[in-house]
Amino acid sequence: MNIKTSHIVKTYNQKKVLHLDGQYGELFFESGQIHGIIGPNGSGKTTLMKIIAGLIAPSSGTIRYNDHPLCQDIFSQMTYSTHTPTLFSRSVYENIAYPLKIRNYEKDRLNQTVSQLLEEFDISEIKNQNARRLSGGESQKTALARALSFSPQVLFLDEPTANIDPKSIQLIETALKKRNQDQGLTIIIITHNLSQAFRICTHLTFLDQGSCLFSDTPEKIMTSTHPTIDEFISFNRF
Amino acid sequence: MDYILNGFVEAFRLIFSFDPEIIQIVLLSLFVSFSSTLYGTLIGVPLGVILGINNFRGKKVVSRLLYTFMSFPPVIIGLFTALFLARSGPFGQFQLMYTPTAMIIAQTILVTPVIMGIVFNHASTSGYEVVQTGKTLGAQGLNILILLVLELKGVIMIALVTGFGRAISEVGAVMIVGGNIRDFTRVMTTFIAMNNNMGQYSVSIAMGLILMTISFITNSVLYHFIMGDQNEYQD
Repeated sequence: MNIKTSHIVKTYNQKKVLHLDGQYGELFFESGQIHGIIGPNGSGKTTLMKIIAGLIAPSSGTIRYNDHPLCQDIFSQMTYSTHTPTLFSRSVYENIAYPLKIRNYEKDRLNQTVSQLLEEFDISEIKNQNARRLSGGESQKTALARALSFSPQVLFLDEPTANIDPKSIQLIETALKKRNQDQGLTIIIITHNLSQAFRICTHLTFLDQGSCLFSDTPEKIMTSTHPTIDEFISFNRF
Repeated sequence: MDYILNGFVEAFRLIFSFDPEIIQIVLLSLFVSFSSTLYGTLIGVPLGVILGINNFRGKKVVSRLLYTFMSFPPVIIGLFTALFLARSGPFGQFQLMYTPTAMIIAQTILVTPVIMGIVFNHASTSGYEVVQTGKTLGAQGLNILILLVLELKGVIMIALVTGFGRAISEVGAVMIVGGNIRDFTRVMTTFIAMNNNMGQYSVSIAMGLILMTISFITNSVLYHFIMGDQNEYQD
């Protein structure tokens, strides 16, 4: 699903937290790509993502999905997961099965899909545990498995690998790349880890203080002469 | 000190004598408190959920009002209910004053903000997150409602226990609107207050023990359901 934003502004308590104008007034998130949104804390990354995901409304500006405005049909083809996911107070298995149950999947198909995801994310052993008792990494893997269970067209991820071990990070990145390549899943991911952005993203957008300073391929950001971007990259190197 | 010990001895004798008057008082207390908790739940839970998960202008004012009502003295609620139900009041024609119905009305007014406030508080925080997550996974309408109720069931049970506790233990409201009429509107708390004033400590202690036992049993049953859920959160 192609997503195009035009001149988005978001104001909280009369303070502009996001204002996309000028050269990067319009942002394009091409279908089948992995788009990374990077930038310092408080730069408006999560606000932008929530606006694109249809979770909050912009104060002004427009978002088009395959050239259409947001509707329930489009909204139901997208999903969102954060590094502090809200897991339901039920088993890991039931959490992953939830999107399939509300879509009335047949029992055999549901069991097969959930079992595959449990195996893929290496969480089969904890499938009967209450999801509220999981560690950070287990929670994030469960949330991601749940988000992918119904094969959405667009996946929004807000720091999905924050504070988890390298093995789990690799597992999650592999799963994301696999979905992107095999199913053409469009992924929009916020990350503070520049090396991760380079590993998985095909496109990067850099935000700072609510403005967009860069939106292009990862290779080109390295040649950017903007001092804020240069500083961000320097800190990430060390 | 003797009168206290004698009071306990007399209390146990009274409890195990199965005095019809005591049984009638206990049953009426339970009926009034359960009824008001039920009505309070029917009003307070949906309103608490709806107000909690929606963001609207004036939400802070609503929450402050709600928390104020949660701590309203029962005697004040009894007074206002009496003013409305009295023969010369706006609802005087229904002749509800000094009836169990008036007591249920007063206690419903008392427990509804308690139940609503607890549900509202949790729905505002975790409930909002649950709704947002449910929506991003494709849930709509009835599915969202079912999801929310299941996720908040522990909180709803806590609200019920707290509401029931407030209802069965209060004396001010039921004394004013019920009048403590023998065999008609006398409940455990008004019975204790009356006998204490008359210096009959043994029957007061007996009824106090019954009240505490009933509270303990009710809370234990509900606690079982709550902790059955809450234990799963422990590491």
